[in-house]
Amino acid sequence: MSSTVRATLTKVCEFLLTTLLVSFFTFAAFSIIPGDPARIMLGTEASEEQVEQLRVELGLNEPLAERYVKWLDNAFRGDFGTSLSFNTSVGDLISSRLPVTLGMSLIALIIVLLVSFPMAAICSKRPGKPLDKALSCAGHILFAIPPFALSMMLILFSANVLGIFTAGRYTAPSVNFGSYLSSLLLPSFCIALPKIAMTFKFLRASMIEYSQGDFVRTAKSHGLTDLRIMMKHIIPNSMVSSVTVISLVLSDIMGGSLIVEQVFNLPGLGRLLLTSIARRDFPLLSGIVFYLALITVILYFLADLISALIDPRIRDRRNV
Amino acid sequence: MRSFNGPKRYLITGTILLSIVTAFFLIGLFWTPYGINSTDSASKLMAPCAEHIFGTDNLGRDVFSRCLVASRYTLLVSFAGVATALLFGTFTGLVAGYYGGWRDKVIMILSNGVMCFPGILLALVAVAIFGASMFNVIWALGIVFSPTFARVYRSGTIELLDRDYILQAKIMGVSPTRITLIHILPNLMPQVIPAVITGLANMTLFESGMSYLGLGVQPPAASYGKMLSDAQSYMTTAPWLIIFPTLMLVCYILGLYFISEWIRTSVKGGSR
Amino acid sequence: MSRESRNKIIAGAMTLALTLSAASCKSGDASENEGIYGGEAVVGITQEPMIFDPHTVEAAGDKEILFNVYEGLFKYDSQGALQPCLATDYVISDDSTEFTFTIREGVTFHDGSELDTGDVVYSLNRAAELMAEFADVTDITDNGDYTVTVTLGTPNAEMLSNFTVAIIPEGSGDTIGETRIGTGPFVFTSYEAGIGIVLTRNENYWNPELPYLDQVTFKVCADMDSGFLELQSGAIDIFPYLTTDKSQQLDTSRFDVLSLGSNMVQGLFLNNAVAPFDDVRVREALNLAINRDEIINLTMDGAGLPLTTAMSPVMGEAYDTSLDGTYAQDIERASELLAEAGYPDGFDMTITVPSNYLVHVNTAVALADQLSAVGINAEIEQVDWATWLDRVYTGRDFQSTVICLTSNYAPYEVISRYESSADNNFVNYSNPEVDSIIEQIPLTVDNTERNELYHQLLGYLTEDAASVYIQDPYSICAVSRRLEGYELYPMYVQDMSTVHLAETN
Repeated sequence: MSSTVRATLTKVCEFLLTTLLVSFFTFAAFSIIPGDPARIMLGTEASEEQVEQLRVELGLNEPLAERYVKWLDNAFRGDFGTSLSFNTSVGDLISSRLPVTLGMSLIALIIVLLVSFPMAAICSKRPGKPLDKALSCAGHILFAIPPFALSMMLILFSANVLGIFTAGRYTAPSVNFGSYLSSLLLPSFCIALPKIAMTFKFLRASMIEYSQGDFVRTAKSHGLTDLRIMMKHIIPNSMVSSVTVISLVLSDIMGGSLIVEQVFNLPGLGRLLLTSIARRDFPLLSGIVFYLALITVILYFLADLISALIDPRIRDRRNV
Repeated sequence: MRSFNGPKRYLITGTILLSIVTAFFLIGLFWTPYGINSTDSASKLMAPCAEHIFGTDNLGRDVFSRCLVASRYTLLVSFAGVATALLFGTFTGLVAGYYGGWRDKVIMILSNGVMCFPGILLALVAVAIFGASMFNVIWALGIVFSPTFARVYRSGTIELLDRDYILQAKIMGVSPTRITLIHILPNLMPQVIPAVITGLANMTLFESGMSYLGLGVQPPAASYGKMLSDAQSYMTTAPWLIIFPTLMLVCYILGLYFISEWIRTSVKGGSR
Repeated sequence: MSRESRNKIIAGAMTLALTLSAASCKSGDASENEGIYGGEAVVGITQEPMIFDPHTVEAAGDKEILFNVYEGLFKYDSQGALQPCLATDYVISDDSTEFTFTIREGVTFHDGSELDTGDVVYSLNRAAELMAEFADVTDITDNGDYTVTVTLGTPNAEMLSNFTVAIIPEGSGDTIGETRIGTGPFVFTSYEAGIGIVLTRNENYWNPELPYLDQVTFKVCADMDSGFLELQSGAIDIFPYLTTDKSQQLDTSRFDVLSLGSNMVQGLFLNNAVAPFDDVRVREALNLAINRDEIINLTMDGAGLPLTTAMSPVMGEAYDTSLDGTYAQDIERASELLAEAGYPDGFDMTITVPSNYLVHVNTAVALADQLSAVGINAEIEQVDWATWLDRVYTGRDFQSTVICLTSNYAPYEVISRYESSADNNFVNYSNPEVDSIIEQIPLTVDNTERNELYHQLLGYLTEDAASVYIQDPYSICAVSRRLEGYELYPMYVQDMSTVHLAETN
């Protein structure tokens, strides 16, 4: 028990170090790149005096280093400050965007799992048969189309052939959960499809490997049906080894959702991130980066934890 | 070998696809049917026809000519970017995986840090310091992508270190460099090659995303990614602006992918 | 104060012959007061709203929304003419230093308090503190009797248009950015970052006939493309930032498409202080080397007015029509001039473009292609908007750039940037003659004389080829046919007060 506590503590420390590092990178980046948030807010028509006045109001005249230390100090107390350009609390801004990015990632993950497991199960049963070849080939092609291009093609298809315009139709989950889900469905597909190819390939290979394992042969000799063998032995076993691939896919999905929400014009974290960079909104960007780091670290932490839990079993079998 | 698609078929398909891209690249070096930057309002957004087999874009430029030339930027950015990422990633991943301990901790914290850091911001920094050029974008991309490779190498190395033959080599006093070069690196190929291919595809994409912010390939030059991001406005009226660059990208990535499959299956087949 | 100058409220210099509105422009029928009351509309905007304090707001994207919330003593109408709003009458002294306004009675703010002269004096004082346009105000007096007098230190014949500045409740300055209380036809109800702004009908608006709609939403779209898609999907009803190409794709049975010169000046702006653009011959050569119509066709599908000087013809009488057509493309002459200037084989130049403006990037590509004909090798450098503002606009560290200069509907603001010492003279233009004209203009009371000065000044700018002026791009707006009464303004304004549901609904 105490070792688990220690491991968790180490993880937390590592996480804090990582985020500290990232926030320092961000600060360093901001001290290098040109751009004045006050001028960006006021545009070209404002006079120097007006810009100067806004700078004073926003506290931009203090050196960046000083502002950074202040920000850090507040952040450690859980206060991420106020966005310069939105004049809203950073926490509120981020939590209003999280449903899009997280929702999309989650739906995409579910699609990936729902599609790739049955696909792999079917293909691994009769490797080399036409159905397997066709599905594998489709998987290869999907893998090769960049999500960006795929999104455009799906938008084109849905607009021209199905007559459905999806871009920009986002409903907050609190307003209508049904339309929230449906507004995220197509973009989630765009993220999921290339990952299906990846997961499918991996699962198929491991399922083929397991179906030739001794225990399957034993099970067969005991007269178990194919379906039963698949459900009881092959799928659970390949699930165990696919945890790693899924954790990899997850971080890809997160990254993909940042791109796809651009194309679909969804108000997610990715757009907020770009806006905060474009506006040189340091508190906002730091806040977003913190959250993204938190999510990434949690994902890896979970993946590590799961593999650590199941590792002995894998290792045992491998050494037999 | 019991593989359903003989590895040879992978090799053939892959070679055909890649030779299309290579042909585009080579032809583009010497000849294009139209000037790649010559704008003409009279031939705006023409659908593919006999004169312009891939159609024309919103400034009346011949898409086929641009596809010929774009191949060079796409190839350059993706290859050089991945090479940079591999360089950083291999080294750090091997060190972290082989030695473990504090080196591992430090490297993982750093690589987590880089992964959480917005790549676009890094590219902005690169451009702010050294100006908007393709090479700055390449090294920025290299850094952004290196943790992916570091992770692959690290976990692969950790796994391999448990193998008997490496334990034996260690006991026999073989130097870490030698173990790494002879036993670890070649055996990690099957994991690394798909990561490289994905990296090439993602690199192309990322580059197009950055051109959205004015980084990456500068107009009027073009890469497939940039052509796609430019085409977004004309998605519904001029789908050929999306279709042809996408096809080229698919040729490129799928070709690489098949070759990697061929290598993977050959290595696997050989080791058994 | 003399009787002679007591005007009907028509700002002379501002009256506009709107010959430019395209054929498809369907103006709302102001005469017909039979609009349906109720309903709502969604307007797509492409810029995140930022500042709601009417005295510090600068972004055009904010101003066009706040037009519905705050009002000044005057208000522009859709023809670009000043109309009485919170003032019912005014008197200007002969020397253009004293402005006396009669304040409208019976107007209430959105919080229910009644507008009085105290609010006007307070607001004008606050504006005088915060806004450069009011820097010259020496005194603001409440005469009682619902009149207010504003005194200027130096005469300024161009001052009247500045009194469109918002009147806010007395003492509300510190909180106005949050309370957003004005007298306009709509009440500011809510703002959600990244989502949009909701305005609701002001039930107590001083003009009882307006507005028609119960609710107006300004919805943030990521960019023009997504706005277009949302328009088609029905998520938004009005979208004022279309391109010709996109507008032609719209189903005309569902949408009206309106277009109008936008009163902006797009050009290839040359840094006059940097070689080779410190040589007037080189600047002229550039002007002669390019084909404006071709660029307009390429970048705007023809929806732009070619420009050869620093002002759009939409500005009316201040514009000098005799300048139309100068600098027709003449490659030979351009080459000669380049040779005279010592560049017989052309030279290398860099065009810095803000990457978020596709039109400017495309213009730069077209320019680079056209300039190659005279041997000029133009490289394009894209930078993000923040970098552009910092390096090019504020830092003046650039060689050339493509950008659109926007401004209020006031000719003086358009040209005052060419004064050598102006802090927004980012092209570093310098001509003592122009400086003296710019100084003279505000002192010239007579409209005709003042317009004459504008014409002279524009002539100098064209002659000196201060930059390569290219076009005034049309603004193109699509309005769903479920709505009527929308009017396009020659400036950044979305006037929602006249919009109402169509009869057929």
